[in-house]
Formats: sequence, structure tokens, C-alpha cells
Amino acid sequence: MTEQNTKTITPKANRATLRGRPELYTEYARDQALLNTASKKLWTGVLVAFTLLLPFLLGRDLVGLLTLVFIYAIGGIGLNLVTGYAGQVSLGHAFFVGLGAYTSMFFGGAPSMTLRGLELDMLIWLPMAGIVPMLVGLLVAPLAARVRGLYLAILTLGLVFVGEHLFREARTITGGPQVGRRGAIPEVLGFNFYENQEILGFALRREQIFYFFCFALLVVMGVLARNLARSRMGRAFAAVRDRDIAAEVMGVPLLRTKVIAFGVSSFYAGIAGGLLPVAVGAINPERFNLLFSVEFLAIILIGGVATISGSIIGAAFIVLLPRLVQVTAPYLPLIGEVVSVEIAQRMLFGALIVVFLVLEPRGIYGMWLRMRNYWKAWPFSY
Amino acid sequence: MSTVMEPTAPTAGARVRTVPNRVQEHAERDPSRVCMREKRYGLWQDITWADYWDQVTLVGHALVSLGVEPGDRVAVHSENRPEWLYADVGINAVRAITMGLYPTNPAAEVAYLLQDSGTKILIAEDQEQVDKALEVEADCPDLQIIVYLEPRGVRTYEHPKLMSWDDFLERGRIHREDDPGMVERMAASAESDDVATLIYTSGTTGSPKGAMLTQGNIDFALKTLISEGGFYNPPAGPDDVILSYLPLCHVAERAATTWTNAEAAVTIHFAESIETVQANLKEVQPTLFFAVPRIWEKMQAGIYIKMNAASPLKKLVYKAAMGLADRIGDDMVANGGNHTAKTRVLYAIGYPFLFRALRDRVGLRKVRAAGSGAAPIAPEVLKFFFGIGVPIYEIYGMTENCAIATTNRPGRVKLGTVGEPQPGIDLKIDEETGEICTRHPGVFAGYWNKPDKTVETMDDEGFLRTGDVGEWVDGTHIKIVDRIKDIIITAGGKNISPSEIENSLKTSPFVKEAVVIGDKKPYLVALIGIELDTVGDWAQRRKLPYTTYRDLAEKPEVLEMIQRVVKETNDKFARAENVRKFRMMPKELDHEDGEMTATQKVKRSALHDIFGDLVDDMYGNTKLFAGGDQASVHVRAVPVGDEDEAPAERLGEAPAADGEATPADASAATSPELLPDAEERDAATEAAQNDAEDRA
Repeated sequence: MTEQNTKTITPKANRATLRGRPELYTEYARDQALLNTASKKLWTGVLVAFTLLLPFLLGRDLVGLLTLVFIYAIGGIGLNLVTGYAGQVSLGHAFFVGLGAYTSMFFGGAPSMTLRGLELDMLIWLPMAGIVPMLVGLLVAPLAARVRGLYLAILTLGLVFVGEHLFREARTITGGPQVGRRGAIPEVLGFNFYENQEILGFALRREQIFYFFCFALLVVMGVLARNLARSRMGRAFAAVRDRDIAAEVMGVPLLRTKVIAFGVSSFYAGIAGGLLPVAVGAINPERFNLLFSVEFLAIILIGGVATISGSIIGAAFIVLLPRLVQVTAPYLPLIGEVVSVEIAQRMLFGALIVVFLVLEPRGIYGMWLRMRNYWKAWPFSY
Repeated sequence: MSTVMEPTAPTAGARVRTVPNRVQEHAERDPSRVCMREKRYGLWQDITWADYWDQVTLVGHALVSLGVEPGDRVAVHSENRPEWLYADVGINAVRAITMGLYPTNPAAEVAYLLQDSGTKILIAEDQEQVDKALEVEADCPDLQIIVYLEPRGVRTYEHPKLMSWDDFLERGRIHREDDPGMVERMAASAESDDVATLIYTSGTTGSPKGAMLTQGNIDFALKTLISEGGFYNPPAGPDDVILSYLPLCHVAERAATTWTNAEAAVTIHFAESIETVQANLKEVQPTLFFAVPRIWEKMQAGIYIKMNAASPLKKLVYKAAMGLADRIGDDMVANGGNHTAKTRVLYAIGYPFLFRALRDRVGLRKVRAAGSGAAPIAPEVLKFFFGIGVPIYEIYGMTENCAIATTNRPGRVKLGTVGEPQPGIDLKIDEETGEICTRHPGVFAGYWNKPDKTVETMDDEGFLRTGDVGEWVDGTHIKIVDRIKDIIITAGGKNISPSEIENSLKTSPFVKEAVVIGDKKPYLVALIGIELDTVGDWAQRRKLPYTTYRDLAEKPEVLEMIQRVVKETNDKFARAENVRKFRMMPKELDHEDGEMTATQKVKRSALHDIFGDLVDDMYGNTKLFAGGDQASVHVRAVPVGDEDEAPAERLGEAPAADGEATPADASAATSPELLPDAEERDAATEAAQNDAEDRA
């Protein structure tokens, strides 16, 4: 009714009438903000500050392990986009991660007598590590979009086997089985992210520098994924997941949505793949097998399906769990005597997936949500 | 602004600073400041003083262009929204008279109000209200134009009198271009005896009467109620936030919204609808909150329902903290509403655990002053809110005196009273009738077109008869006994105020309506209406299936529970004031069916007609409508009291009150022999009772 007002002046609200009223939205920007409450802002700030402080408190190996968490998280977010948000179960994630890894090695790795490498800058090889798997993903997706459920799982499973074979045979790029190859050189315009450096008078170890780099990348890619998930495309993902026929009836183009989901997911997988060999030093082609795919599935199942934060939590869980078992093994009975540490890890891993699927399908993030809602509704229950 | 005179008392023809003048001043001083917000498309949209005044002038110009002259009546029939204020202030700016209709008014009442006031232009909100107006338009010869705010559904109507709000404003814009400044000039020429608004009384006893409030009345009200803290204390200011949700055609909400905003520049937020008040409250978190007792009761009942569904730990914390709240409430009440060292400590303990969160959930976290008025409220409700840190000050007034009579002031609260007379007014209690009378510049100019009624209401010394019987408490505070017409004189000759008993019954979250009857009868009986939400919740918890309101109300288990409520109330009153029998009302009372007024006040006379058979049943010693099973028809009615305590003959009213208790073996809840009368507890119901107490 009042649209036709001659609003020549911008309204000035009395600040006191807005203060302490987090639900009184006067603009969409605030309504839609990711950090829409003061406490969210505060705790996110604290968490980021703590994460930035950690490498100065922990030993080199732990810093390396945490860097691995970030990389797995990026890959996990990718899988969560296609499997969690868009509902397309993919067992082929390992293939895309591997493809990313070898793309990065081809473009950024050092050549030798047996290996090919272009020694390009990270500014080129890192995006390429994402783009090449994405293109392959886009190629595969139309096939995948024709099937769903179990058939889709088997189709993507096939990718892993194809990939394993390719990686094993393309010796000039991958180094071949049992030999492997070192990761690409993470150098941007002469600055190496995996070399001890002195920055602003601080002597930083290479693990620390790479830790910061991966963390920054995770934050950027996490926010991008979160924004994608709550945009028109993200809602299309959810519609396809919840009922593809209904989605199509509503006007969501099924094929295009699924193809985009696969493409974006593969891009994330590729980026994770490009960074992974750098963090672990060298990598064998056998690494990108079915178990690796299952690890990513476990990340999103344990962390939380269709949540970005859940992917990160899940990655931390999966990467740090072996270490935890290792540390606690001497104090636990049976482990080391009856079953080896490695077997114990696998058993625990399987058990956890079963437990989460049955008891808390929304994963660790779901547990957090439940806890938060308990306090949010205080003193009521709804 | 400087040209405006400061009026002392509104003498006839004197210049007065009106609401439009005040809005204009704000618009000149702070054009870009936000003065109200309306929620549209999920956002609270800012409206500035400049917008406000711009719309007001457009309305004013449009009205003049449509031939409205000073003194003409223009009606507004809408929920609370900015356009209500634009229209109201715009109408007043061109010295016409605003008449407000309740959105719930049915077509027949709309017809009466439009005819009686001789309304020329009606501003109707939407299709619903337009339909009502069109239905009766033929009977309203004065009605020339119907302006509608929401075009949805009305767009296709073809009626010569219909005009959209946009077209209406466009007319105003054209007129403003031709004659700029006309509205400002007219607004500046307002006089104190200009009638500003017709506020129709709710009409509990007869047809509604339009009380004429003049600009002088309103100016006095603005100063007394708002600037001097008669309404909210400490007085409202520009940092305050309010939620507007009660009908604006009522004097209380007009004072709480339009007038408070114009005088103190508070920021108004319009609730989306009456159903969303709770959600809007939580968003807006007002600093000042005025509610009628029904809202406060409902809020308390809401807390009760939600706590019943809470997890065990939460229940435990709630119980513990409410234990504190009880003590805080008691102490504060004993101390005139002031905190003592002890209550402060208790409150500080309870705050982090419960009070802060609880207040936040119900939207009262930032409330610094809350008011209750327009109907009597039970002291228990006030005490509950005092306990959780929301001080509610009961205020008393009526349309005819511009809501200016008495108020409870912070630190000098006496529960059960409506407070002390507002400063600067004359208030007396008639020695013969006990009627409260007020005299001050806010007393209205009379009833529209009903000089005879006006004469009846005013006494020779210029005092307004309020129609309420009151008494002094400690010489400073006034306690309202009841409406003079509602006082019950039993056959035994005892004067009884039914509202006190009714309010006590209504403190139970299960009771929504209670009407005590007994005029010229040997004993009191009551008609009781249940609160569907709470009783439904209660029944669900006990796995009692039910279908309709009536089905639920007549369940034996519900009857038994209500019986306990009646018993509890009876314990608080003298024997002569005990409710001996009750019957459940088979339907929810409704405005549209003529059982209630628009302000949700029960029309007693109408109830007598509608539920006469229930009343006869109670006094006729039959049990036709006693509920439960039809078998109960044959059970002899036994009026029961506390037979062992007071000798029955002294009461001289209850036949066979002595020793005629119900059969001691009246069995469990499903028994068809259940007597829905106030009676002794018996062993069979004890178990169920304990269960209920656990929940309470």
C-alpha cells in the first residue's frame, strides 16, 4: 500500500529499538546472514582464532594431521553436496580425488626420466586439479542421472575400478604401483607453501604454512558450498533428493541439477586430491581404491548428511581416529595382542558407521543440533 | 511548533495541540526517524515520521476532495496497521470525526454503528469488511464511499461506492497539488471542543453508545496518561518499543498506540494478526506492554501448557525457580510492588536459570512497564508475573473519561485494587450507591445523539458516573467491587460481587469463562466455559479421546476437574459466596453469536436467554444438563457445601444443605452418577486428584 511513498530520505531507526532483538529483522541481509546471531559470530570468531593458534601449540606431526583434516574436509564437502544435498549416492569419490591428484602432479610436478610434469605455478595446477575432474564428472553425470539408488552406487563403484586400473597403468604420470609419486610443488609466484619461510620476522615451519593455506582454502570452499546449498540450486538439490519426480513436476530440471551436483562435487574432490599428495609427501595409485571412497562416505555419515560443518567434523573424526586408537592402544586390552591396531581401527570404523546410521542418522552435527535446540527452547521443550 | 499555545484547561473554542499537530511536529523535527514498523514480506518495514505525515496529509486532502466537512464522521474498519493511524490522524487533521469498528463486528452491528453515527465515508480493510458494509449499505443512507485497503478479492467488485485506497490517496495527491498546505492549515485551526472520535461502548447491557471524545479530552489524556506516566511509569520515551495488537477502536489501545506514539515518539510495531501476537512479541520484545486480563491469562496458560510438555530436567528447574518466583511475588506484593533485598537476591538466583529465558520466550524480556486494564484481573495472575520479573500495573478507566481514573504506580502497588486516582483529577465514591465518579478535563462531551443517556451518566456537579461500585482501600487506593448492574443480591439479601468469584475461577488455566448467577436466588450457581487449548492438552495427556468442544466440556473427567477448581475457589470465599452448582457451557462464547461483545466481555443478559435451560436446570433441582451419562438425569441434585463448618440455617439459602452429602461411594471418573456440583472430595477421586496436583 505504501510503496508509492515518496521515500526521498533513508529511514533512521533509533538504535535502542533494535538492540537486543535478534529476531526483529528489518532487512533481508540480516535475516539471511550465515552468522545471524551475536553468539554465532562470537563463537565462530573464537573457533577461527583457536584454529589459527593451534599450529604454534602442537607438534609437527599433529599439525600435518590437522592439515589432512582440512583436505579431507574439502573432499567431504564435495561428496556431501552430491550425496547429502542432492541425494545421489556416489561410491566413486575416490576416483575424482585421484584424478585431481594426478592432474596436479602432471601440471605442477617436477619431471624426471620416467615421469612427466610441467612444473607450472600452483595458480594453474590447483584450479586444473579441480577443473579436470569436474569435466570428467560432467561427462559421467548424464549416465549417472539415468539411474538412482543402488544402481547409481554400482555405476559409481565402476568408476573406482576403472580409475584404479588407469592410475596403475599411466606410469609416466602416477609413478606406477608401489612406487608412487611426490605431490606437485605448491609454489605461487615464487612463494612455496611447503617450505620453511620467514614471514614478518616469524620463522614458520613448512607444516605450519601449509596448514594455514589449507585452512584458508577450506574456509573459502566451505562458505561457497554453504551458499550454494542455500541458493536456488541448493534448493533444487534438496528437491531432487527428497523426490525426484515431484521435483521435476515443480519445474526443477532433473538432468541438469544432477549433472551440476556431480560437477561441483568432482571439483571439490579434485582440489582435495591436488593438496593431498603435498601434505602426505608421496602417494601410490593404490590409495584411490574403494576403501578410500568409503572413508569419504563415513565422513559425511558420521559428521552429518547435508551439512557443511558436519563434513568438517566428520573429516576430523575419520582422520584423527586412527591416531586416537594408536595412542590409546597400549592402555586397552586385546588390541595389539589379539587384534592388531590396524584391524582394531577398521573394526571401530565399521562399528561407528553402523551405530550412527541406526542411532543418529544426522551424525555428530545432528547431536549438536539436538543439544543446541534443547538449550534454545529453554525452559520449554518446543 | 512555537505557534502552538499551551492549553491549560479545554475551554470551549480554545486552541489545542492535537494528535495531528504532534505528528506534524515530529515529522518536521525528525523526518527520517522511524516511528513505526509493519511486517510485510517477512520483514519489519520502517515507516518514518515523514512517511507518516505525508500519508496523513494525503488522507486529509482526499477526504476534503470527497466533500468531508469538519464534524463529519469517517469510519475505520480494520485490524491494526499503519493505514489505521494514517486514516485516524488524517481524519482528525481535517477536523472530521473518527469512528472505529471492531474487525469482529458482524454485519448487523456494522449497520447499527454506521447508521447511528451517520458515517459518510467508511475505510474498510479487506474483502471481509467490504462484504459486511455492502450487505448493509442500503440501510445506511449517509454512507457515500467505501474505501478498501486490500484490493485482493475486491478488485472485481463493481459498486459505485467502492474506491481503492490507492485511488483514494491519488485523489488526495491531486488535491494537494491544487491546494498545498490545506491540511496543515486545518490541523492548526483545531479547537478543544472539536469532537475527535466516537468510541462506541461495548454494549454489554444494551445497544452500544458512541462516546464523544473531544480534542481537549485527548490532550488532557496525552498529558496525564503518557507524559506524566499515568499509563506507563516511568513515562514512555523515544527509546521505547511497543506492539500494537488490541483493537484500535477501543480507547485503551488508541491510548497505547496512536497517542503514546504521537506524544512520546515510541516506535510502534504492528502485530500481523491477533493469532500471531505471541510470535510477534518474541520478535519485537517491547519495552512497554499493555494487555487485557484475557491476554495475561492466556500467556500464563501458554507457559503452563508448554512446561507440561517439557523434559524432566526443565520441569525440575521450572518448579524450583517458580518456587522462588512465588516468594518474590509474595514479598513484592506485600511491599507495594517494590523489590526488597531478599527478592533481589532470589531474583538474581532465578534469573540465569529461568526468568531470563522464560521472559525471552514469551516476549517480555525487555518489558519495563506493563499494564492491565479494561477488565478486572485476578491477583494471582499479577503475582505470577511479578514473580518472574514483569511488573504489571493495573490501570482503571473507561471510554467516557478517556481512560483516566486510577492507576497503580511503581512502588505503591496494592494488589486487588486498581490503584490511586490519577493526579489532577477529582474522584469520589458516591456515599449511597458506592459508585465511583470522576471529574476532570478528560470527561467526555456526551453520547452521540443520545442526550438522555448523557444526562443519566453525569451528575449535577459535573461528575461522571462510571457505573462501577468501588471502595477505598487504606484511603489511597480504589478497589472495584463490580459493575453496579452486575451485583447480585441473593434471595437471602446478601450483596455479592460476581466478578471476584468469576476471576478466581478463571485463575485456573482450564477455565476460560465463568459466569456466576444468583440474583434473587437462594444460592449461587455458575456457567463455566473451558479453555479448549489447556483442557484439550490435559485430555490428550490422559489419553481421553474427544471430538468437539462440547464433547470435551461434558466429559465426566473434565467435569470432575472443573469441580475441583470450583471447590478451590469456594474455599477462598465466605459460605454465602460459594458456588453450589455449575454447568458447562456447550459452546465457546463468540462475538458473532451475540454472547460476547467485541472486547470479549460476556453479555450476561444474552447468556440468560441462550443458556436459560442450564440455569433452570440448576435451580430446578434437575440434572438434565449435568453432563456425563444420560443416566445422571435421574440422580437427585444435592447442593452441597462444607456442611460441618457453618450452620446451614445462618445462610438461610441452601435447602437441605446439612448432611445431604453425595454417596460416599460415588465411584471413579467414568461413573454415570457423577455429580457435577461442588462437593466434598471423596476417596474415589483422590487418586486422580493427586495426579492432577503433580502436574500443576
